[in-house]
Amino acid sequence: MEVRHPGRISNRQSCERVLPFIDEILKHDSLSIVGLEKNTGKTESLKYVLDRLPVEHKRIAVTSIGIDGETVDQVTRTQKPEIALREGMYFGTSEMHYRQRRLVSELIDVSDETTSLGRVVTARALTPGKILLSGPSSGSSLRRWMRDMRQYGIDLVIIDGALSRLSSASPAVSQSMILATGAAYSANITTLVQKTAHVVDLVNLELTCEDNIRLLSPLEKGVWCLDTDGCLHDLNALTSLSQELHFDGVDHCATLYVAGALVGTFLDKVRQNKSLRQAEIVVRDFTKIFVTPQQFRLFIKGGGRIRVLQRSKLIAVTVNPTSPSGYVLDSDMLCGKLSEAIGLPVYDLLKNNRQ
Amino acid sequence: MQLKNVIESPCGLRFMLDELELQSGYARRWLLDAPMMTHAGEIEASYAELHRFADFLQQVDTPYINTLLHKLCGLKDIRTTVRHLGQRATLDDIELFEVKHLAILAGDVRTLLEQHGMGGVVAIPDLDEVISILDPDGMKIATFYIYDAYCAELKDLRSQMRQHPEGQDDLLLQAGELEEKVRMDLSRQLHPFAGAIEQAQVALARIDVNVARAMQMQRMGLCFPTLSHDGTSQFEAMFHPQVKEALKARGREFQPVDIAYGTEPTLITGANMGGKTVVLKTLTLCQLLFQFGFGIPARAARIAVKDDIHFCIGDDQSVEKGLSSFAAEMKNIDAVIKASRENKKLLALIDEPARTTNPVEGTALVTALLGVLAGRDMSLVMTTHYDIESGNARCLRVKGFENGSMDYRLVEVQDGEVPHEALNIAQSLGIDSEWINKARELLMAVPERGRDDNH
Repeated sequence: MEVRHPGRISNRQSCERVLPFIDEILKHDSLSIVGLEKNTGKTESLKYVLDRLPVEHKRIAVTSIGIDGETVDQVTRTQKPEIALREGMYFGTSEMHYRQRRLVSELIDVSDETTSLGRVVTARALTPGKILLSGPSSGSSLRRWMRDMRQYGIDLVIIDGALSRLSSASPAVSQSMILATGAAYSANITTLVQKTAHVVDLVNLELTCEDNIRLLSPLEKGVWCLDTDGCLHDLNALTSLSQELHFDGVDHCATLYVAGALVGTFLDKVRQNKSLRQAEIVVRDFTKIFVTPQQFRLFIKGGGRIRVLQRSKLIAVTVNPTSPSGYVLDSDMLCGKLSEAIGLPVYDLLKNNRQ
Repeated sequence: MQLKNVIESPCGLRFMLDELELQSGYARRWLLDAPMMTHAGEIEASYAELHRFADFLQQVDTPYINTLLHKLCGLKDIRTTVRHLGQRATLDDIELFEVKHLAILAGDVRTLLEQHGMGGVVAIPDLDEVISILDPDGMKIATFYIYDAYCAELKDLRSQMRQHPEGQDDLLLQAGELEEKVRMDLSRQLHPFAGAIEQAQVALARIDVNVARAMQMQRMGLCFPTLSHDGTSQFEAMFHPQVKEALKARGREFQPVDIAYGTEPTLITGANMGGKTVVLKTLTLCQLLFQFGFGIPARAARIAVKDDIHFCIGDDQSVEKGLSSFAAEMKNIDAVIKASRENKKLLALIDEPARTTNPVEGTALVTALLGVLAGRDMSLVMTTHYDIESGNARCLRVKGFENGSMDYRLVEVQDGEVPHEALNIAQSLGIDSEWINKARELLMAVPERGRDDNH
């Protein structure tokens, strides 16, 4: 057995076969699995998790958001996978996919909400078997579905997130997440590591203090300044994009709260304003941040701080070194470099399954 | 005419429907599809039913109501499934689930209502046999699949599937064939109940609608109307719920209005901002609410049934359709005149006709309109700013501007002479005095000009 050295994770360790994150998942009541791009192995990650969860003593429900509907991906012509469910698992899918199921299942509910593939059907698997997942089509209907799941005593809801849409991993929806990345996102290891590390940095942004969370959470729009005396000032800007946004007359600003999207130009404005050097920027959660890795790095390097009101627990990062065009990156090198950059173990699940 | 055809009437019916707390989307659709009632007996029966629900809600406690509302929340629109069943189609699992779900729901609601002697108010057909067909294990849970109990062979196949998940495809195919046979058999057994299932669905929607209406009456302070058989309608302390709410939000109070009208024309005159349009809107709203069976926004109301209701208001949406405001108005009133020639009980509520044209022709048009409609067997309530010969019309006037505030009540006056308060009101609004004083001077120079124009 190898000994871990903090700050230096070897390739072997980072792509280890014993995958400890199943226990970590069970500490939360919801998990989103999101991919940074199509074919980054999101579905592999979902399969991997579903195969290893202890269904015997936990009630698991699984659904998906914003699924394209076809068994073959229309864009890349790659096979769109069915998900293998185990006996006892609950699932939410569309009427159309329910009719195509390859398992015996007991119908529990048919929702009033209609997606492009029909209504969302909730059922429980009575035999193991396969199903195409296509659940509620919007974040709010997904939240409603998850709330409904509670009455069936579900311990954990797993959401197969929308491709390249991180919003389905928003902490407003799920408590924890698994991030899938890979050659499809970038075929250059250095770029891939940089871009992925940026997303991880955003996901891992720390929570602001409890007082701020209490005070700022109810504010749903606008840009606000909280001064050192604890007084809240409305900066009278609709968004952080607003041209009119200025900080004249803002004294002793301790916190800048952006209720909507945080954009790069806003960070630049704050960075260039001496009186705001000490201010902490607060956003609702990482899905509201739209800044380039360069803008973000510059801001942090200059001593800037960004905090969030809600945080998802990033449980694991998985990689698929194969791109749909057939290009294959060196798995060990990719895992190692990425792991070093983000300080978290990285898993190549396909490789682990093969071994 | 269905509720959905008049829902966007500028009288504010949409607000009443939006404020109706229905539990299920199906009940809302059922209500929107409801035809307007035009028979006294039908309306009486509908209010008698609503009365039972209003009394019942007074008697029961909150947890009970919540249970009932929660149950009604589960009502789904399964008309397509019921139609399939009626056509002897084989239902799929989702459809069979829907039927079972509805049958169990209907039984639950019936039991709940029977506890308080409400069993027979809206008859829910007995679907116990439907439940037993779809619940072979007697679990009484609203979930469904092709149960093992339906077919021993299927049961065997499924246990094999659990033991050998890898060789499933072949087993699934065999099981699929057996399941389809079961579905055919179930659909055949259920076919005779298609009518009863449909009735149960409608009954549950009616219960949802009645409960929501009764709760709305309580919340908004609406009253049960009595039916008038002599063609006259009478309202005591009538109010417009939407206007009342808007005023309340601004810290102001709605002043209720008493009003009655019969089969002779009623002419309402009064100062600007005197609430004449609101009175017409409210009368229209009350008439529609009455003929669709809702509570009436008044302390008391006696209402006559009409076959046809026309509400002509100048500032409606016609402009968006490309008509000038004058053309749109003329066409609306033209429809009233045409309808008045048919042998129908007609109610027409016309707000300031011909207001957008010059006063000379406007006055002539309004006087002539009154003359044409006065002879017909209909109820007409009309507002105007023009001084016209009122002839046989009953004249009501808004009390008007007194001691710096508006008194919105209506008083009966002998003729339709309009009050000349526009300048006073404009002044009280703080409008530029140069303009107002100039107008005063002009009026002094040509006294009673408006009246002269009539001759």
